[in-house]
Amino acid sequence: MIKRRSLLAAGLALPAVARAQTVQKLSFYYPIAVGGPIPAIIEGYCKEFQAATGIEVTPVYAGNYGETLTKAVTAIKGGQGPQMAVLLAAEMHSLQDMDILVSLDEIGLDAAGKAWMEGFYPAFLANSHAEGKLWSVPFQRSTAVMYYNKAAFAEAGLDPEVFPKTWAQLQAAAAKLTKRDASGRVTRWGVKMAGDTGNAQWTFGALANQAGHVLMNQAGTEAYFNSPKAVEALSYWQGLATVHKASPDGVSNWPQLSPDFLEGNAAIIQHTTGNLTNVRTNAKFPFGVAGLPGRDGPRTVVGGGNLYFFKNATPAERMASLKFARFMSEPARAADWSIKTGYIATRPEAYETKALRDYVAGFPPADVARGFLPVAVGELSTFENQKIYAALTNNVQACLNGTKTAAAAMADTQAEADRILKPYKKA
Amino acid sequence: MTRTLEIIGAWMLAILWVLPLLYAVWTAFHPSEYATNFSLFAPLTLQNFANAWDAAPFARYFLNTTMLVSLILVAQFLLCTPAAFAFARMNFPGRDIVFGIVLLQLMIMPDVLLVGNYRTMARLGLVDSILAIALPYLGSAFGIFLLRQVFRSVPQELDDAARLEGSSLLGRMWRVYVPLARPTYIAYGLVSVSYHWNNFLWPLVITNSVSTRPLTVGLAVFASTDQGIDWSIITASTLMTSAPLLVAFLLFQRQFVQSFMRAGIK
Repeated sequence: MIKRRSLLAAGLALPAVARAQTVQKLSFYYPIAVGGPIPAIIEGYCKEFQAATGIEVTPVYAGNYGETLTKAVTAIKGGQGPQMAVLLAAEMHSLQDMDILVSLDEIGLDAAGKAWMEGFYPAFLANSHAEGKLWSVPFQRSTAVMYYNKAAFAEAGLDPEVFPKTWAQLQAAAAKLTKRDASGRVTRWGVKMAGDTGNAQWTFGALANQAGHVLMNQAGTEAYFNSPKAVEALSYWQGLATVHKASPDGVSNWPQLSPDFLEGNAAIIQHTTGNLTNVRTNAKFPFGVAGLPGRDGPRTVVGGGNLYFFKNATPAERMASLKFARFMSEPARAADWSIKTGYIATRPEAYETKALRDYVAGFPPADVARGFLPVAVGELSTFENQKIYAALTNNVQACLNGTKTAAAAMADTQAEADRILKPYKKA
Repeated sequence: MTRTLEIIGAWMLAILWVLPLLYAVWTAFHPSEYATNFSLFAPLTLQNFANAWDAAPFARYFLNTTMLVSLILVAQFLLCTPAAFAFARMNFPGRDIVFGIVLLQLMIMPDVLLVGNYRTMARLGLVDSILAIALPYLGSAFGIFLLRQVFRSVPQELDDAARLEGSSLLGRMWRVYVPLARPTYIAYGLVSVSYHWNNFLWPLVITNSVSTRPLTVGLAVFASTDQGIDWSIITASTLMTSAPLLVAFLLFQRQFVQSFMRAGIK
């Protein structure tokens, strides 16, 4: 008792400056989606933040994106949630629906804060706007890119320095790259794209953009699958296997794409920039990184995770969290994060730091994706996101497996999506 | 003829069952470029194990998991034995209704209670502790049910004889019933240990730090989905973490199989 009282007295005696800074501890959940010593890197940043501001941030690694979401939501509902978490950028509408988020506008963005938000690549903020507010800060971001085997290009008589820019060029190149042995068995596929659960919607999002089509409205209350352009995109995907015989029939799985590419079983794969370090370390042949082709020209889609802020935090904690977000996106740190993980730095000014300039000069493929950000769209993101993904994935797979035509698959997805989104349509 | 068929069938099942394990052993001991190429003379390596070991504090995770499963096992035995005994051999009003309520627990998936359990732990101030991982599982309906069935099959004469010798209630439970149910304890213990050794979702949600995280949650570090999966390191770490269970099973195989036969869990 005496001890407690003296502590109290000591607390009262502290100078006003120290008392004003009431927030001393924050916790934030983050997922791991790339290899490497991610926990050590994140802990390092948190220590630097503590040294700079006196606020202790406890980073809690929480599995993959889905598991992190479960953990964060459970903890928040259980009354001991974190103040912030890195979750998929595309989950914005679903998270809003759960009513656990606080927008940046509500936390309070001053003029400097607004200028700071404008300093991100616009493509990475595509999944952050809703109801006229900003809901998340870009953190570990990527885009879809093509990895191609330059040795295979040379062998097939193609110029290894020129990657196809249009669908027609890619179809032709992929057909040439497909290699069969004497018995007609394929020993190397021209191109592989992931159509498995959890990834089909990402691949398809890129293809729809390539056809010049947007799959949803900004409010996330409507989805547009039943359009000639969406059907065209799906037909193109299906046609790589059925018409051009340059891709395996049926569904290719995301986790198998990298091993296939590295072992020379696939000459081109559509994958994420997050895979660059892995390919660089393990490829035993010269490889290239290129933007995705499009019907008329290159188009791609962004992916990855943003930093979200939760409602359960006190106003002081929210301000401190925002400070942490700004600290993490400082050019030097964004550059360091990009170099160590392979994610794209979220702000142009990071590419002006010496560290990233030197890195990119020594390893030009790391700079390819950045050039395609102007032609990138946000991910498919609506209310009930997971249900919409499931509807789309099932139909895309049915089409790739040959049980539905592209038109029927898109019509069915639309019917399903309309049913799921009905409660969110405003009259 | 049927016997030959049976033997062939058994071998086929055994081979099917062991294939993933053989694949795991193959990939774990070879460099990653041999993960999907079979070559008899591929170089052997222990590097995958070293990499896996360095990637996370596995020694600590091993300790956490061991503490967790031992805590659960001991508590389950201590709690289920008297409960089962009461349901099997004591008469009190509402016994069958209470037993019915206990059995209801078997119908509820633990995942459904995620938020409720979390809230309870938060109120108890136990979030991020090994006790919190264990607590929801200590009163096991399955254990109570299983032991009750065994206790009921113990001949009443043995109980009566002990009573004539002047043995107390606890004495009879300890000296007559528990020794006769030994195979069931072993079988149930194995089921419990392997379940909690592998449990993932609840420990992931309730733990926040290295000092409480069990192996399964630690392993998820390797699920680097953005770059495809490095099978070598995954299989190496899987072998490493499941090794104690595998070795224990091989050592006590005979006892396990026998107790499963006797306990009737199949």
